[in-house]
Amino acid sequence: MNFEEIYKTYWQKIFRLCMGYFNDCDLAQDLTQETFIIVWQKLSTFKGNSNIGTWIFRIASNNCLRRIEVENRMPKSALPFDLKEENEASIEPKLNLLYRFISELNETDRIIISLELEDLKQAEIANIVGLKETNVRVKIHRIKEKLTQKFKDHGQS
Amino acid sequence: MDNHNIDFKNIWQQQNGDQPDLKALRSKIISFKKSNLRKLLLCNILLVVASIFIVFIWYYYQPQFITTKIGIVITILAMIIFILSYNDLYSYYKKIDSSQSSNDYLENLILIKTKQKTLQTKTITVYFILLSLGICLYLYEYTRMMSLFWGIFAYTITLAWIALNWFFIKPKTVKKQNIKIDSLIEKVTLMKEQLE
Repeated sequence: MNFEEIYKTYWQKIFRLCMGYFNDCDLAQDLTQETFIIVWQKLSTFKGNSNIGTWIFRIASNNCLRRIEVENRMPKSALPFDLKEENEASIEPKLNLLYRFISELNETDRIIISLELEDLKQAEIANIVGLKETNVRVKIHRIKEKLTQKFKDHGQS
Repeated sequence: MDNHNIDFKNIWQQQNGDQPDLKALRSKIISFKKSNLRKLLLCNILLVVASIFIVFIWYYYQPQFITTKIGIVITILAMIIFILSYNDLYSYYKKIDSSQSSNDYLENLILIKTKQKTLQTKTITVYFILLSLGICLYLYEYTRMMSLFWGIFAYTITLAWIALNWFFIKPKTVKKQNIKIDSLIEKVTLMKEQLE
């Protein structure tokens, strides 16, 4: 797979991952770009003994995780929810809620649930974050419960 | 609890961002590379220029005393140590493989941040000691040419300046750096614990 194909195939997926992590459109856009810069730089070192998707998702996840400084500067809970809705009036409120609720989870849970919703196999998720598959399964189950509860508390189900 | 009544996957995948074309990314790659190198280059150039300046003094003024020569060497050494450890830190930081699993990645991030903390503190201390020693030795020959009063005066001013750096500026810089790094290490450690 050459860089152009990778860029076309994975851009939206990585964007969603970053969006789930930060729930900030501009930041997600920047981080996605950053991820592809790293992918571009490192593509020659990709050995091909693992799935290229796993490899790219690892880079993207780690890139989100290392942005601790950004997060410290911008406490999400303090952001008014309506702020984003002007630009995204056409998008269902559920979509906004989902991304907001995910971004309120702890850091690694955000990554895990994003990968799950991106339809990755649990074995692959385990491989990306460095956990056992059974742990991933348990975590995903708990996160989904948490999200469902948040939706219910918000009067949606 | 039944969580199958909300189709998270379906909602999730409706999110789409504006994908910039490849050209925009390419130009970003170039500017990214440039800005990465700029800071490092600037630091190195500054120190190399300072070293060249000292070598120039050696040739131009032809110092007679061994103390002056030792002083010059120690000063250059201080700068070289500073450059080397700064470069080392930079390359070390770049070496963290971002394509490893998040668990390993976070572990390495903690290691690197801890190393950075020690290195910063140690480097600054060594740099200050060597630089102060170098300057004091270097000054000796030239103050010998002055009257006693001006000689003492020159040393007093120099030592006062060194003391100011040593007792106020250095601890303040180190403290500021450490507070920042400590909070980062703490945060990364917490994230790592989430994966245990």
